[in-house]
Amino acid sequence: MRTEDFLRQVTALPGLSGNEGEVARFIAEAFRPYCDEVTIDPLNSVIGHIRGNGPKVMLCAHLDEIGLMVSDIEKDGSLRMRSVGGVDPRILPGMRVTVYGRERLMGVIGAKAPHLLSAADREKNYAREDLYVDLGMSAQRVRELVQIGDCIALEGGFTKLLNDRYASKTIDDRGCVAILLRTMEALQRIDTQADLYFVASCQEEVGSIGAMTSAYGIYPDFAVALDVNHAKTPGSPDLETFDLGSPLATMGPFIHPMLRRRLGEIAKENNITLQSAVAPRYTYTDADNIGLARDGVPSVLLELPLKYMHTSVETFDMHALTECARLLTAYCAAIDDSWRDELWN
Amino acid sequence: MLRDTLKTLLAAYGPSGNEHTVAETVKGLIASHVDSMRVDAMGNLIVEKLGTDENGKRIMFSAHMDHIGFVVTDIDENGFLRVHNVGGVNPVISNARHVVFENGVEGVIYCQPLKGENPAMKYLFIDIGAEDRADAERSVQVGDMAVYAPDFFELGENRVASPAMDDRCACALLCEMLMYLDETPNTVVAVFSTQEEVGCRGAMTAAYSVRPDMGVALDVTAWGDTPEVKLPAVKLGKGPAVKFIDSSMIATPAVRDLMLRAAEEAGVAAQREVLPFGGTDGSSIQRSRAGVPTGTLSIPCRYVHSPAEVIDMRDMEGALKLLLKLVEIA
Amino acid sequence: MELKQLCEIHAPSGDEGQLRKLLLEEGKRLCGAENARIDRSGNVVCTRKGTQPGKPHVCVSAHMDEVGFIIEAATEDGLLRFHPIGGIDPRVVVSKRVLVGHDLLPGVIGAMAIHLQSAADRNRVLGFDGLYIDIGAKDKAEALAKCPVGTYAYFDTPYQPFGDGFVCAKALDDRVGCYTILELMRETYPCDVTFVFAVQEEVGCRGSHGAAYGVQPDIVLNLEGTAANDLGCVDDQFKVCRPTQGVAVSFMDGSSIGQRKLFKEILDLAEHEHIPHQIKRGVTGSNDASAYQRAAAGCLTCVLSVPCRYIHSGASVAYLEDIQSQYELVHAFLMHA
Repeated sequence: MRTEDFLRQVTALPGLSGNEGEVARFIAEAFRPYCDEVTIDPLNSVIGHIRGNGPKVMLCAHLDEIGLMVSDIEKDGSLRMRSVGGVDPRILPGMRVTVYGRERLMGVIGAKAPHLLSAADREKNYAREDLYVDLGMSAQRVRELVQIGDCIALEGGFTKLLNDRYASKTIDDRGCVAILLRTMEALQRIDTQADLYFVASCQEEVGSIGAMTSAYGIYPDFAVALDVNHAKTPGSPDLETFDLGSPLATMGPFIHPMLRRRLGEIAKENNITLQSAVAPRYTYTDADNIGLARDGVPSVLLELPLKYMHTSVETFDMHALTECARLLTAYCAAIDDSWRDELWN
Repeated sequence: MLRDTLKTLLAAYGPSGNEHTVAETVKGLIASHVDSMRVDAMGNLIVEKLGTDENGKRIMFSAHMDHIGFVVTDIDENGFLRVHNVGGVNPVISNARHVVFENGVEGVIYCQPLKGENPAMKYLFIDIGAEDRADAERSVQVGDMAVYAPDFFELGENRVASPAMDDRCACALLCEMLMYLDETPNTVVAVFSTQEEVGCRGAMTAAYSVRPDMGVALDVTAWGDTPEVKLPAVKLGKGPAVKFIDSSMIATPAVRDLMLRAAEEAGVAAQREVLPFGGTDGSSIQRSRAGVPTGTLSIPCRYVHSPAEVIDMRDMEGALKLLLKLVEIA
Repeated sequence: MELKQLCEIHAPSGDEGQLRKLLLEEGKRLCGAENARIDRSGNVVCTRKGTQPGKPHVCVSAHMDEVGFIIEAATEDGLLRFHPIGGIDPRVVVSKRVLVGHDLLPGVIGAMAIHLQSAADRNRVLGFDGLYIDIGAKDKAEALAKCPVGTYAYFDTPYQPFGDGFVCAKALDDRVGCYTILELMRETYPCDVTFVFAVQEEVGCRGSHGAAYGVQPDIVLNLEGTAANDLGCVDDQFKVCRPTQGVAVSFMDGSSIGQRKLFKEILDLAEHEHIPHQIKRGVTGSNDASAYQRAAAGCLTCVLSVPCRYIHSGASVAYLEDIQSQYELVHAFLMHA
């Protein structure tokens, strides 16, 4: 499947953290042609296995997305909500949403009109308590169709911008699932030693739970986590944001130094520009928890730069995505038994 | 009777890390109803009631024995005890309360009123009536823990109040469930867990050794039916609440839906709970080993983490029916 | 190995390679080559078979890592921007010397001269986002050529005995524990003992998390250097523990509550053997005991610490005889367990 088509389809599917069933099934089918075996584990992580005789390697990108959940239905039929994962309340006023009730319902997030607010209140952002979802129907209809606990997904739409750049919700981290897919596709034509597990993990946005449990189950020798990192936008801190156009890899205590060094070397051999970031502690990605599985899993992190993270217009550069896949493919192809011996040298 | 079981359990001393008295009380209540009982390194009491089918499911239930308290960090020359909180203690609520130590020593916890400043943990002290440090040290040592003194009273016909309702009410449910459980194909592993109030620690090791196919945490949840409080949309007396989400866990849809079905089949009204904060043992079970489908059943409870935590016995009875049905249809 | 040597090796979390190599060599020398290894998390794990059957399996653990710095970027004029590795108070690093990278390039952390500061500046804490390491580079290109992004930097302070039986050094947290373990490894005990030198404690107890799962002992004694907070006329209730008063035994801290029975047994043992000891009063902070206690099916844990003043700075202070007390208490426990 073309990456653009895959992303267009996969970003349109609901997959709120903890409720990822639908998107998990779609990704499992997308993986299937390229894997010896594909399973969906008890918590909704998708695991595609390409067998090999060398070290066991887990490649992981998360499939879940941030969103909202109905927390109460007011007397007038408006819905109160809580966030699932880190939703910035500033993006919500005026956003279209899909409420997954007994039917799929379109809703709009409303708030008190600015004309009715004091000058001082207009200076403040809306808190989640000030906001509600308007379903455009009577309170009675709402009660028939919606219950507390129903999922609410943010506005969809997959938009092609200039210069092969795209904007959509949930590029974090389905953009990286697309990298996994491209990689397994490319590996069909290459002999590899590594025993490869491609994991589209669940519940990353609420604490990397799927990656933790999948890593326990798989018990890999090494892991490569894939996630997005911040690309430069006006006003963002210069040292902690990166060029949109090429892959990025973090360094720091949670990243295994030898695996990270190899990533740099292999990028160089393949003429891939690889940017470096530093995380003095948490990387806030699946890498953190994969590293803690059982007696430890040496891990490395490869990142796709992304603008406007955790909004419905997350923007990436297709060239950076394909370069990530090219690097990951070369990395997988290079892994052999000698890597295990060199880990701590 | 559920109410008697509850009263018995509420009387037991058990701050986080010192739950053995509660464990002994539970053992006394259920010994004749179960196939095995053991206590692990974290102090969890792990009880099994075997199913009739060895291919049946292994369902882990967890209710925590511990509750919040105070640990003595210093004894001053005049015999006053300085304390640190064990779990989520609100120093404002703690002021001028009756507290008790494991050995029965009683005290008053107090904070000298401060002008324009709220009580903070560091200003609280316990007065056990000691003359001086030496006198105090004959009764209490640094490292000992105190809890709100046990208390139990009824509010109207259906409601009861006590400290430690969080989570002894769930311990009572679990005991009663074991007593009334008919033979089923499924094995029930009831874990009376430790150290939930300091981060769901006991349930981690218990879940690891139990290796369940499915997990159910039983705990109290917050309320939305008193003045000024609207969320969560959970009310006392409207039935147990099936949790969808809190800060620690998103209930596995399959388990959550099974609970809702059990409620329906048992003819019990159940509420749906979307909690903007909080956490339960469910989080520790769900992320154990390679992942365990897990949900949480909540008893709505007002004034959680105070000396007067209030629940409605009708919610308890509903929860018991729901749980018995859940084991049957799982 | 001498404490001086242990403290002067640089091993911030994630960059423990050099110390790991040395500890592995020592482990092989003292426990036999087949009984010392590096585990999947990068810890050094050594085992010593007990002389008597039926005894519990005891693990004695100390962390090998220390706090330090990591280079994130360089400014146009060649100054290095950095992050702390582990919990360092930015107020203790201003006007200090550091060494950068495995080649130990000297650098300094400067600050704007007091003459140039406004009154408001003088009251403001200089955060890490306002601090730089100056290695004397002329420009960005030279700075990054010498110190690429991801290079670690270390406190440059020598080990120095001073006063009456005190020592001042960096990394006493937790080289004191490593030193005690190396001393303990010289003997054989009735019980099976696993000695762990754990990595990455300072960034969230990651090494011990893996070691705990790999070892799965019955009992863990976690050896630490812990904050003292005893001087400066601190109110008694806020003194965490006091150097010169012996090894500090913890009942609880921010991340674990020691099992009561083990805590009492250890206090009784110290009393009985006349080993200088004290109960640690502060209950904040966390350490590797949290990872051990709750890994797999769980185990009993107790934390035994050498009181250290000014931990996580380049100049921490400990009383040498307290290290001896730590050794004696663990030794007595292993003999009696």
